[in-house]
Amino acid sequence: MTAAVVSLRGVGVVYGAHPALDAVDLDVAPGQRVALVGPSGAGKTTVLNLCTGTVAPATGSVSVLGCDVGRATAPELRALRRRVGTVYQQLHLVGPLRVVHNVNAGRLGSWSTSKSLRSLLRPVEVDTARRALEEVGIADKLHERTDRLSGGEQQRVALARVLVQQPDLILADEPVASLDPARAGEVMHLLGAAAEHGRTLLVSLHDFDLARRRCDRVVGLRAGRVVFDLPAGDVTADMGTELYRIGT
Amino acid sequence: MGARGLTDLTEREVGLFPEDEHLVPLETGRSRRLGGWSGRRAWLVALVVAVTWALWSAGVGRRELVNPGGWTLLSRFWKAAVHPELSGDFLRTTWSATWTTIAFAVLGTALSVVIGCIGGVLTSETWWRRSRPRRAGAAAGVRPGWFVGRVLSGLPRGVHEAVWGLFLVNVLGRDPMVGVLAIAIPFGAITAKVYAELIDESAQGPYDALRAAGAGRLGALAYAVFPRTLGDLVSYAFYRLECSLRSAVILGMIGAGGLGFQLSLSFQSLRYGEMWTLIYALVAVSAAADLWGAALRRRGTPGLVRRSAVAGAVLVTAGVVHLGPDVGRLVSGRTRSLLAEFARDAWPPSLPGGGWTELGRQTLDTVQMSLLAIALASTLAILVAFVAARGGRTRPRRLVAAGARLLLLVTRAIPPPVWALLVLFVLFPGPLPGAVALGIYNFGILGRLTAEVVENLDPRPEAALRALGAGGAQAFAYGVVPVAFARFAAYSLYRWEVAVRETVVVGVVGAGGLGRLLEQQRAAFDFNGMLGTVFALIAVSLVVDGISAWARRSLR
Repeated sequence: MTAAVVSLRGVGVVYGAHPALDAVDLDVAPGQRVALVGPSGAGKTTVLNLCTGTVAPATGSVSVLGCDVGRATAPELRALRRRVGTVYQQLHLVGPLRVVHNVNAGRLGSWSTSKSLRSLLRPVEVDTARRALEEVGIADKLHERTDRLSGGEQQRVALARVLVQQPDLILADEPVASLDPARAGEVMHLLGAAAEHGRTLLVSLHDFDLARRRCDRVVGLRAGRVVFDLPAGDVTADMGTELYRIGT
Repeated sequence: MGARGLTDLTEREVGLFPEDEHLVPLETGRSRRLGGWSGRRAWLVALVVAVTWALWSAGVGRRELVNPGGWTLLSRFWKAAVHPELSGDFLRTTWSATWTTIAFAVLGTALSVVIGCIGGVLTSETWWRRSRPRRAGAAAGVRPGWFVGRVLSGLPRGVHEAVWGLFLVNVLGRDPMVGVLAIAIPFGAITAKVYAELIDESAQGPYDALRAAGAGRLGALAYAVFPRTLGDLVSYAFYRLECSLRSAVILGMIGAGGLGFQLSLSFQSLRYGEMWTLIYALVAVSAAADLWGAALRRRGTPGLVRRSAVAGAVLVTAGVVHLGPDVGRLVSGRTRSLLAEFARDAWPPSLPGGGWTELGRQTLDTVQMSLLAIALASTLAILVAFVAARGGRTRPRRLVAAGARLLLLVTRAIPPPVWALLVLFVLFPGPLPGAVALGIYNFGILGRLTAEVVENLDPRPEAALRALGAGGAQAFAYGVVPVAFARFAAYSLYRWEVAVRETVVVGVVGAGGLGRLLEQQRAAFDFNGMLGTVFALIAVSLVVDGISAWARRSLR
């Protein structure tokens, strides 16, 4: 077996006095599409933040793409982050910037500072950005201001940002939480396409059914613990009901 | 309701609120043609050209500007900072002057809140909206009364408090009411505008429901609107109090009394130690008002609002006792005859000696002075904003931020005429010293606004860039600058509008422009000329307001 892309060993995370993750073990193999499901506060976002090193584990170890995130130096962490692309639920795009710059922002990890600043005045590598926008179907918006686009179009800009980044690991935090079923299916399709060529996808979802249909593997989280970890085919609707049950 | 930032309040004042959001779809067509950036570039080029022109006209690089003999005086002034005058006599004078200034500010604010409440209701759309369509199918419209009210409330805002002060001194003489009224008239109009917007904004639903159930307009307002807007109104009143304090000092300098008056007396006799005692008093009072207002905006709990309202009432009472204003004098025969005499003397307005050419030259000086002032203030403010913003992660970082905020506090606590007098030590008279003085003062105000913009920025886009491997400078350039730029530009333009009006107060001490002209005409009792100059001031303010609104819209 090749080395895991993501490997969590007995990981605990605490926010203040509130435990977010408790002794979590998780291995994701290269090329896998893994869905994290579970109720709000289960720790899905925390798992994703561990993978970019924006949250540090209190106990246990986190290894992403061969890098021990808890012990990495700043340059090592930057080198890792360059290879990890994220799509956020709230997108976190820069509204007043034109679309081309928001897409190019995916390259900032690889570009030198002077090249990044120059590009703000006169965009560079426009063709790459345009191709990425073509893939998500909004090539004509290249020079629009991002905050003038519709919500759906902005979501595509966020996807295009990940495409130009060409990461080895794609993280997506509730990418379809505020979309209707048809659009949710389409975004999941685009994410799946982005994760081709042997890339790994780790996506947190509320939609249990979508997770079963679009991913290879489903990991159920509840109150900071892994409840089940099964191939998508083996997950039943009952498990979802049990996972989202109110109360203890 | 709830906590509002200072920037929220000022936005409301300038109309930065997206009230004309319906314009956006119309504009996207145009901005696509121009390109978002080429519009900005056009404004940037215009700015560079205008500032270069202003610098050239001010004589930069063309003639001797610096008076080397003044440095010793200036350094003597700064050295006196560590030797303030602390004799019992002078401390008593300072104490009394401080209370006079506070009383001007508190009573002026209180009066402007009263004017604002009445005017706000009368200029709100809610008040004038027809409760039912006149005929079937017609939309409930706004009555012409609303329009008239809005226009009337716009006029007093066009003139700086100091001009109102000069006018009132002529009618009332050296009376404490000059200080109060000069603040209350323009600030009352601004408060009315803001309160009208608060009323219109605060949920039409409950108001309409009560009206539909047969309540009268006042009754429906009292039950459905006042309780919801009270917190915002109180917090706006405190923001106005901060502004009033600064105005009260300026008004003192033109003879109304208080700290400003003592400052100019001490300055004339070159007693720098006394000046510093007064400046420290000013800084203390400004800091107290700033902190109180900030606390109210950040945690606008009903308890704090109530305590603030009570404290306000106590201060108003204390102010009345301290000033002992003779309200009867306002309507006395003497006042009326002086007013009539003034009106007779001042009408018709006339041109200054030198005619249109002179008026045009002074008007251009005024515009250039305001441009240079804002260019200086914005540059400094942008540099300091990121340093002064709260929320630093490390202790040294927080200490530096506190130091930067103290610097901003001191620069805005010292009134522009004092800055002008200090700058005039080392620069020869002309628009340049006025611009530098206004620039320093506005730096204090603008720096605070921009620091708050930085504090309120959404940190997540920048964090997202860091998470994909961007370095600090890159994430800053892509994630922070584009968002902050638009807001900074909007506030710079807002302060430019104010700075044009403020040129009067540095002009009065001889720094140049229409303000100096006004002072010369006053000294010569040329009331017709004064009125003409005031009209020129109003005209130039309106033009600047127009340009600023246009720029803000296309930069948004």
